[in-house]
Amino acid sequence: MSIVVQLLINSIIAGSIYALIASGFSLIYSVAKFMHFAHGAVVTVSAFILFFFAGMLKFPFWLSAILTIIFAALFGLLMNLLCYRPMRKRKATNAVLLIASLAMFILFQSLMIAVFGADIKTVRLGQISTGLNVFGGIITELQIIIVLVSVILLVLLWLFMKKTRLGKAMRAVADNKEVAQTVGINPEKIYNITFMIGSAIAGIAAVLIALEQNVEPNMGFSLIIKGFTGAIIGGIHMVPGAVLGSYLLGLVENFGIWFLPSGYKDAIAFVLLFIFLLIRPQGILGIKRGVNNK
Amino acid sequence: MNTKQPDTILEFNNVSKHFGGVKAVRNCSFYVKKGQITGLIGPNGAGKTTAFNLITGLLKTNSGNIIFMNEDITDKPTHYIANKGLARTFQKVRLFDNLTIEENLLLAKHHPGENFFKSFFFTRKPSKSLLKKVKQVVNLVGLTKPLSTLTSELSYGQKRLVELARALMMDYKLLMLDEPTAGVNPFIRKRLKVLLRKLRSQGKTILLIEHDMDFVMSLSDEVIVLDAGKKLMADKPGKVRKNKKVLEAYLGK
Amino acid sequence: MIEAYLIHILILICIYIVLAVSLDLTVGFAGMLNMGHVAFFGIGAYTSALLTLGGTPFLPALIAGAIMAGIAGFVLSLPTTKLKGDYLAVATLGFAFIIESVLKNWVSLTRGPLGLPGIPRPEFFGITVSSQLGYLIFSAVVMAICVFLIVRVEKSPFGRMLEATRDDEVAASTLGKDVYKTKAIALTVSAFFAGIAGSLYAHYISFIDPTTFSLLEVILLFSIIIVGGLGSSKGAIVGAIILLILPEPLRFLGFPSSIVGPARQILYALILLLILYFRPKGIFGRVELGES
Repeated sequence: MSIVVQLLINSIIAGSIYALIASGFSLIYSVAKFMHFAHGAVVTVSAFILFFFAGMLKFPFWLSAILTIIFAALFGLLMNLLCYRPMRKRKATNAVLLIASLAMFILFQSLMIAVFGADIKTVRLGQISTGLNVFGGIITELQIIIVLVSVILLVLLWLFMKKTRLGKAMRAVADNKEVAQTVGINPEKIYNITFMIGSAIAGIAAVLIALEQNVEPNMGFSLIIKGFTGAIIGGIHMVPGAVLGSYLLGLVENFGIWFLPSGYKDAIAFVLLFIFLLIRPQGILGIKRGVNNK
Repeated sequence: MNTKQPDTILEFNNVSKHFGGVKAVRNCSFYVKKGQITGLIGPNGAGKTTAFNLITGLLKTNSGNIIFMNEDITDKPTHYIANKGLARTFQKVRLFDNLTIEENLLLAKHHPGENFFKSFFFTRKPSKSLLKKVKQVVNLVGLTKPLSTLTSELSYGQKRLVELARALMMDYKLLMLDEPTAGVNPFIRKRLKVLLRKLRSQGKTILLIEHDMDFVMSLSDEVIVLDAGKKLMADKPGKVRKNKKVLEAYLGK
Repeated sequence: MIEAYLIHILILICIYIVLAVSLDLTVGFAGMLNMGHVAFFGIGAYTSALLTLGGTPFLPALIAGAIMAGIAGFVLSLPTTKLKGDYLAVATLGFAFIIESVLKNWVSLTRGPLGLPGIPRPEFFGITVSSQLGYLIFSAVVMAICVFLIVRVEKSPFGRMLEATRDDEVAASTLGKDVYKTKAIALTVSAFFAGIAGSLYAHYISFIDPTTFSLLEVILLFSIIIVGGLGSSKGAIVGAIILLILPEPLRFLGFPSSIVGPARQILYALILLLILYFRPKGIFGRVELGES
């Protein structure tokens, strides 16, 4: 029994982390219509920035965290302004943007190795907690914070998209860029804002993950894999779908290692992805769209 | 009028298609007779192009069935339907833009070298008889550009001609044209009329979506009017022209 | 010394030409955003290495590696040929990760992260190709045969059908072409040749481990075919030569070895970004990546 509870707790923690990555990824996909893999690099670089401020410069943690989140937002904005926007102007296809995003991913991951080295860094807050006992499972205070922050952020994001003018404008561009343009929305501006919001969420995720796990150059890689898997199986065109998919992925992964060696944890994500691409490519919440015409 | 006859080549029986909540085609039936030109008209959003996409298997039906040459082709793969003798063009031209005019046309014929295992023994160069056929079709539609031109370099009107020529290259039993006159100049329009009449006189069957009323009325033997996904009526052009319901559908009540 | 170094680079170039030209068959000709090519490279390498380590002669092992990779390509094609653009990219990339994960975790077969050392050099009729020069000649011959066959396919009516599928799948199907079958064949054949490249690689380096077949390799392969130009085997060849030679000076600039690795990746990523920005059709390319 307690093992089921523990696996459930682990699933919720993993799902919360994946949901933070997936929500930004699917937000950007739904608005800008391409897969921004470099979103994973935002997480990696932000975690190193946190390490730089908190670990190397010994800034107070709260200040380091705020600086990291601001950095993440600007980093995402700059990627859009310096790379994607000029390419869009040249009418690059979304395949080109996808490859460009992979190139940027590798670029920044390698840059982190070159600057900080390939070894593992840690950022810790206070003493390592032994955790609380919940129905026979163990969860640490930090993990509770991760789950809470994730849930609160996702609710805020959802409210922002539903209720605010800006959120509505973003949905308008996501729905139909040309129509949005005719009612006076500037899509390029919306892209900038989308990248900033999505990346800021990735920055928050980076802070939490850096505390919970470690800081290393490869960290963004498995995270973005989980993020886009969650996004696709839930329905990449909408943030709630991506969140749902992320928690589902967390569950399947953690219960999957009951049956398979834990080394296959990453592969489980892809098997799930394949199952969805086969039977429901639009994702759980996704709506199949009309004609397969160009 | 417009019921199943012994010489019906295409039956569209009680077909429905919806996208999410939008009903594009609803319980719609019509029939196309062999050896004549049938016009398919209706206001925007009437479901004409959707009907074309359903017939050619590009879209799956929600209900109903489609019979072509006495075979049920409902939801069969597009290439299977095409190989049964159904050629079509598109409302928005679809060419292979990185290939030449000649290659676009050659693709309409099946070549033994399209089998992978035999591909090692063939080059793309067409046989003399095939090249002759290409030239013949190109002349028929009135295309003047060299065959080695990449289709991406052509004007829109010329692209439409290449697409038509490509359809004509097929061994078709039914030719379906989706707004062939859209975006082409009056001169080509006239030529097209002559060409379609000529094809009919050779016994070909043509189904035509068209917005140009004069064009479609002067050509068609029978006109089917769709409105809001349903068949409004089907009759000789003269009768359709005078029908009050048709007028209402176009102009609104 | 310099000579051995040059030959080493040339051998790698031969191997990467096979990889790039076969990848271009799917990406450049069939228009499929296939990011799983490294997986086939890996399957070919592991199959061939394991068989020869188990006592199978080289040539059957090489062919088995190619066939295994081809089968994997065919299996991957089943769920993916109907997927479009970025979905296909994600699915094929996912496939590559699954294979990498299997190589890492099926320890009883692959020794996992420890890798496979001591892979023997090819042996024909009792004569072992042990010298560097011998291996260069051998891989050049294999490369020439592979390129000849692939180009032959590309220039055939089948190749034209591939290009039609790339340019407009819907139009191709209304001309009676079975586009899904066509793409499945393209992926299978492309994987088959990647398997050959894998075998060439394994028996040259004599040690393989799962990290050899990672995402970094995907980026290198895409850089090669995009720099050279999609839909052009000449482009893939020139691209492979340029991209393999370009980072070599980094070795001689006196950087510590911990920097040379990432610097190489940074260089590849930058080249890819610059070419996508300034000349998306590459040097010899006719077609651009992706659906318009």
